[in-house]
Amino acid sequence: MTAGLDRARRGTLLGLTAGMAAPFGWAACPADVRGRVDILSNAFPAMSHLAAAAEQCKSSQGRISVKLTPTARQETEQGFAMRSRCPFDAAIVSMSVFSDLYARGQLSPMTDLYRPLAGELEQNQMVRVDDQLMALAFMSNTQILFYRKDLLERSGLRPPHDCDELLMAAAALKRDHGLRYPIAQTFAKGWDCATEFTNLFVSLGGRFFKRGSAEPNFQGEHGHHAIEIMRAQMRFMSPNALSSNSDDVMNQLQQGRAALGVLWASRAARMDEPTASRVVGRIEFAAAPSAIPRGPTAAHLWWDGFVMPRRSKAPREMTFSVLRYLLDPTHVQSGNDLAIWTHSSFRPGRFGSGVALAKAAGAATWPTEPFFGIAHSELGQWIPEALAGEVQPAVALQRAADSYTRLAKERGFLRA
Amino acid sequence: MRLAAFIQFSAPSFGVMALLLALPLLYAIYLSLIQCTDVLELVTVRLQTPFGIEELTTQRAKVGVDGLPEQFCKFVWLDQYLSVLSSEFAKALQFTMLYVLVTVPLVIIGGLILALAVNQLPVGIRGFAIGAAILPFIVTPLVGALSVKWLFRDDGLVTQLVSAFGMQIYWMAQAWSARLLVILYGIWHSLPFAFIVLFAGLQSVPKDALEAASLDGASTTQKLWYVTLPHLGPLVTFILLIHTMDSYKLFEPVVVLTQGTFTESVQFVTYSILLDEGNPFKASAAAILTTIGIGVLLIPMLRRAVREHKEGAA
Repeated sequence: MTAGLDRARRGTLLGLTAGMAAPFGWAACPADVRGRVDILSNAFPAMSHLAAAAEQCKSSQGRISVKLTPTARQETEQGFAMRSRCPFDAAIVSMSVFSDLYARGQLSPMTDLYRPLAGELEQNQMVRVDDQLMALAFMSNTQILFYRKDLLERSGLRPPHDCDELLMAAAALKRDHGLRYPIAQTFAKGWDCATEFTNLFVSLGGRFFKRGSAEPNFQGEHGHHAIEIMRAQMRFMSPNALSSNSDDVMNQLQQGRAALGVLWASRAARMDEPTASRVVGRIEFAAAPSAIPRGPTAAHLWWDGFVMPRRSKAPREMTFSVLRYLLDPTHVQSGNDLAIWTHSSFRPGRFGSGVALAKAAGAATWPTEPFFGIAHSELGQWIPEALAGEVQPAVALQRAADSYTRLAKERGFLRA
Repeated sequence: MRLAAFIQFSAPSFGVMALLLALPLLYAIYLSLIQCTDVLELVTVRLQTPFGIEELTTQRAKVGVDGLPEQFCKFVWLDQYLSVLSSEFAKALQFTMLYVLVTVPLVIIGGLILALAVNQLPVGIRGFAIGAAILPFIVTPLVGALSVKWLFRDDGLVTQLVSAFGMQIYWMAQAWSARLLVILYGIWHSLPFAFIVLFAGLQSVPKDALEAASLDGASTTQKLWYVTLPHLGPLVTFILLIHTMDSYKLFEPVVVLTQGTFTESVQFVTYSILLDEGNPFKASAAAILTTIGIGVLLIPMLRRAVREHKEGAA
């Protein structure tokens, strides 16, 4: 009885706290948080917003702790693989990390937790494998074309639809406006370079693996063609391109040194940040150019969402209650422009149309094979050698394929 | 000292060393000799995401009754080492050695020159000069590397200054300049350590020996060569040891400045094997090879240090 009263009192107190917090855009805190719930995530604006929402619920009874770190992927993979209890009760992962964790059987299904609440979450937020709810997606992302509308209009050009048009537009911008390097792309060695290759390769119609197997299939004609397109673009890019990551590309666009670039849609709003950008209001967005005329856009669709480990320290019910709180539509509304949210209450503004543009242009979802990460990693190592002119594209692709085969055998995806 | 007393005094420190150094090293050696792979099964699943529903046939780890993936482990003896050596490790070792061999002497010579210069300054401004000189060493390596990157990127201050003289250099675009940049960063970051150690050493140079040399008519250069430098000898050996170990573990500037393009180091390769390939067993082999490499580099210096110690004791 006393415990019941205490619970009711605490609930009231939390409700009051939530009531006070509501004007700032926070939902009512979950009443059943006792102790600590730890969530791990990469640091990005939408997650900082949710972390602030979590911080509102700190009380003497409980706390939701959100760790934002640039090494979230590594910490998640290591934590979820632990034989003892995972130090995190939930993590935010991208779909590629989800594929790896799922393939290793390290995720806890949330079906039993969700079932009593049927209808509260939207279909768009649910990631199911067969009938099991394995993740709660809260935002989506993709790569889109950022372009200088003012310069293209002055040159009488429309936004490029394919890579040939992109090169023609770059030549015109160079000629008409004296832009030394009109294109900026994320070609940095490793993850960035491999991702650009993946976008182009799939847009060309390539399949990374032989049907129904883990054998590599990226070293053929489509692979060569994708590298040739990247090399052609490099003629209009800064010679430092092989070390250009998303921050560098964003900087080149913001400073007006580049006028065309494929970049993450989630970075669109930064183009109009007056403290960082010299081109406020002059950048517009379109689907990433396709690799070939009338082909699908050279970009992939991504989602980010919450997952729970098989062995966590906090009770699963409590963690799920926290996730429901973080996914509350109030937080979508108060952080509307921070991400492309999956919830229906999201209202895409000038910067939030990226995923819709990519979907309309035929973007595929990011490959989900558990061995794709190995291929991606090896391509990221070897393709820059071809782009730098140190080896021929065929040699780079064959080395990546050989290396991938060796690693896939070591990991058991291919028979030794 | 009696044996029992010696054991009682030294046991705690040996215990801590065993726990923190020997055991992890032995475990890393064990890991480097095995390979574990998940037991996989072919499955066809229906995947529903915010972008739609798809059916895919894929491989998935079998999960045991304990909720963990079933694994098959076997001893592969030196296979991991051979695999590491046949990968980019050899190329990475080449650049790492270049980095060590170039930065170590330049850091010591630069540190000595700076220490001698600051030592000549009036006492009133010495404190400020010391503070300014050790600043690069205080800055964390990642922040320092980012600052250097901003100076040297397309519109960076240094790039702009160089272009004012008619030279347009894209520092990360070719091997020579990317390597030069990483080496320059290494010198900039480590030189203050050599400076502060040698500056401290200069404060303890015996004044009477210097005065005696002056009375004998020794020039400034002769006093430096015959009195000051021999006095600083053990400190130079110390810097040599520390900086060789430190520079062999080259990592942050590679990640930040070039992301490994033209400048892979052995640490960077180990990191890639662990996180990109997801193979802790092979990464352990790379780590052990790195440790062996440092050991080989240090042998002549350690022998010299032991010899000097013995000579001093005699």
